[in-house]
Amino acid sequence: MSDENKSCPPPSGNEPEVTRSAAPMWIIVTTLVLLFLGGLYFDRHSGWFNQNVYAPYTSAKQLDAFQPRSGAAAARARGKAVYESVCGICHGPDGLGKLGQAPPLAGSEWVDAKGFNRLSHIPLMGLNGAIKVGGKEWTLSMAAMGAALPDDDLAAVLTYIRSSWGNKASPVTSDDIKKIRASLGPAKAMTSDELMALPE
Amino acid sequence: MKTGFSVFLAVFVTIGASWCGLVLAPALQLGGAKQETILNGTDTYPLQPTGAATLGLQVYRANACAACHTEQACQTGVVCEISLTGLGVYQPADFKAFVRSLFVLPELASYTNAIGASINNWSGELPKPILITADKKIATEMADRLKAVGVKSEMNILATGPDIARGWGIRQSVAADYLYAQPVQLGSLRAGPDLSNIGVRVPDAGLLLKHLFAPGSVTKDSTMPAFRHLFEVRKIGSAPSPDALNLTGKFAPPTGYEVVPTTDAKYLAAYLQSLKANAPLVEAPFTP
Ligand code: HEC
Ligand code: HEC
Repeated sequence: MSDENKSCPPPSGNEPEVTRSAAPMWIIVTTLVLLFLGGLYFDRHSGWFNQNVYAPYTSAKQLDAFQPRSGAAAARARGKAVYESVCGICHGPDGLGKLGQAPPLAGSEWVDAKGFNRLSHIPLMGLNGAIKVGGKEWTLSMAAMGAALPDDDLAAVLTYIRSSWGNKASPVTSDDIKKIRASLGPAKAMTSDELMALPE
Repeated sequence: MKTGFSVFLAVFVTIGASWCGLVLAPALQLGGAKQETILNGTDTYPLQPTGAATLGLQVYRANACAACHTEQACQTGVVCEISLTGLGVYQPADFKAFVRSLFVLPELASYTNAIGASINNWSGELPKPILITADKKIATEMADRLKAVGVKSEMNILATGPDIARGWGIRQSVAADYLYAQPVQLGSLRAGPDLSNIGVRVPDAGLLLKHLFAPGSVTKDSTMPAFRHLFEVRKIGSAPSPDALNLTGKFAPPTGYEVVPTTDAKYLAAYLQSLKANAPLVEAPFTP
C-alpha cells in the first residue's frame, strides 16, 4: 500500500487542501429569522418553563385567573388545610386541644369572640404564661405559629377555627390581617393580660 | 485531520444541547414532582395506588394495551360559565327585563344576545347558566354587576376540547396524573377510547373484566381483541366461583363451565379502576 503511494507521487502543485470560506449570507439570515420566530413562539407558549403551565394556558398569570374561587367554600377548605398542617398538631384536628400540650379552640372564649383583634395577635405574636380557656387555666407557651403564614392563609385558618366545632363567630378577611400585622409592636410573645388590654 | 477539534466541538455542542433540552430541562422542570393538595380541598392527589393496581400496570404493559389506547386527555380551551343561583328580590320575569337593561352597555353588547337567548324560555329554575365565555374579565365583570343588584351567581370554570366533549376526561392530563406510573403508558394511537379516566367512567370491575374477556358482550360489534388468556374457562366445582363472569347469550361458556379471571386479570382491572384523572389541580383548574 505505502509502496504503491511512494511509487506514484502526486503531481506537484495540485494537492487538494481544506480551505475556509465565509458561510453564505442567506444561511445566516435564515438562521436569524428562525431564531427570531422561535423566540416569539417561546415567548407565547412556554410560560417560562413553569411546571404548572400547560397549554391552553400560556402564563402563570393567566392560569391564576382561571382558578375557581367559589367564595366561602373555598376559603373554608383552605382554612381547614392550613389548620391541619400548622395548628392541628397541637390543638388537635377536632379543636379540643391536648392535655399538657395545648388548650382547646372549640368553645374557647378567645376564638369564639365577637372581635378577632386579640385572637389574631396570638398566632402573630405568640403567647406566654397563664391563660384561662373555658374556666380552666393553662400555663404553657405557644410560639408565633402564624407569623410566617401569608395574610390570606392566616385569615382562612382563623375563619375556620371561628366557624368550626360549634364556634359561630364572624369571618376574618386578609385585609383585616394585613391591618393588624401593620399595627404589631416588636416581636415578643404576649401574655393573657397584655391581650386583654387590646381592643377586642 | 486539521479540523478534528472543531468537529469534536460541533458534535459535543449538538449532543450537549439535545441532552440539555430533552433530559436536563424536563428533570429540572418536573423531576421534583410530588403529591399535591387538590384545589379548594384538603385531599392529596394522586393517591398511592394499591399493590394490585401497581402490578396491573405491568399486565397492561405486557399486553400492549397502549398500542390501541392512550392515557392522555387533551384540552384545547377553558371557559367561564356564569350560573344564576339566587334572584334576590326579583321574580324571573323582572329579572329578564332587568338583565337586558343591565347589558345594553356597549362593551357588553356582544354578550347581550347570548344572555337574552339563554333566558328566553326560562321559567325560573335555578341554578341557571346564563353565559359561557372564554373571557375571564367579562365573566368577572358580569358577576360583579349581578352581585351589585343582589342577584347571586356562581362562576364555574370548565375545560373544553374534543376529548372533554367525548367524556374522556373532565380536564386535561397533567404530569401529576402519572406520578406513580412506572413506566408511563401514554400511548400514541387511539384505536380505542382514551383510558386516562376509565376508573371514573367504568368503576365496576366486573364489567371491565367481562369486556376484557369478550369485548362484544359489552360493546356491540367491538373491534377490540378478546384477552382470553387472562381468564380460565373451567368446570364448575362443588360451588360456582364468586369471581365467575356474568356472561350471557353467545358469550356464555358451555353449561357446567364458568369463566374466572386469573390474578393478572384482577390486577389489570384494579389498575384500570385506579385511572382517575378527575381532581381539580392548580395546573388544571375546573369547578367540580
Ligand atoms: C406547638 C404547638 C402549637 C401550635 C402548632 C399552635 N398552638 Fe396555639 N397554643 C399552644 C399552646 C401551648 C397554647 C397555650 C399558651 C399558654 O398557655 O400561654 C396555645 C394557645 C392558643 C390560643 C389561645 C387559647 C385558646 O385555646 O383559645 C389560640 C387562639 C391559639 N393557640 C391558636 C392557634 C392557631 C390559630 C394556631 C395555628 C396557626 C396554633 N395555635 C398553633 C400551642 C400551639
Ligand atoms: C387492537 C386494539 C386494542 C387493543 C390492543 C386493546 N384495545 Fe381496548 N378497545 C379497543 C377498541 C376499538 C375499543 C372500543 C370498543 C369497545 O368498547 O369495546 C376498546 C375499548 C376498551 C375499553 C372500554 C372503554 C370505554 O370507554 O368504555 C376498555 C376498558 C379497554 N378497551 C381496555 C383495554 C385493555 C386493558 C387492553 C389491554 C389488555 C386493551 N383495551 C387493548 C381496542 C383495543
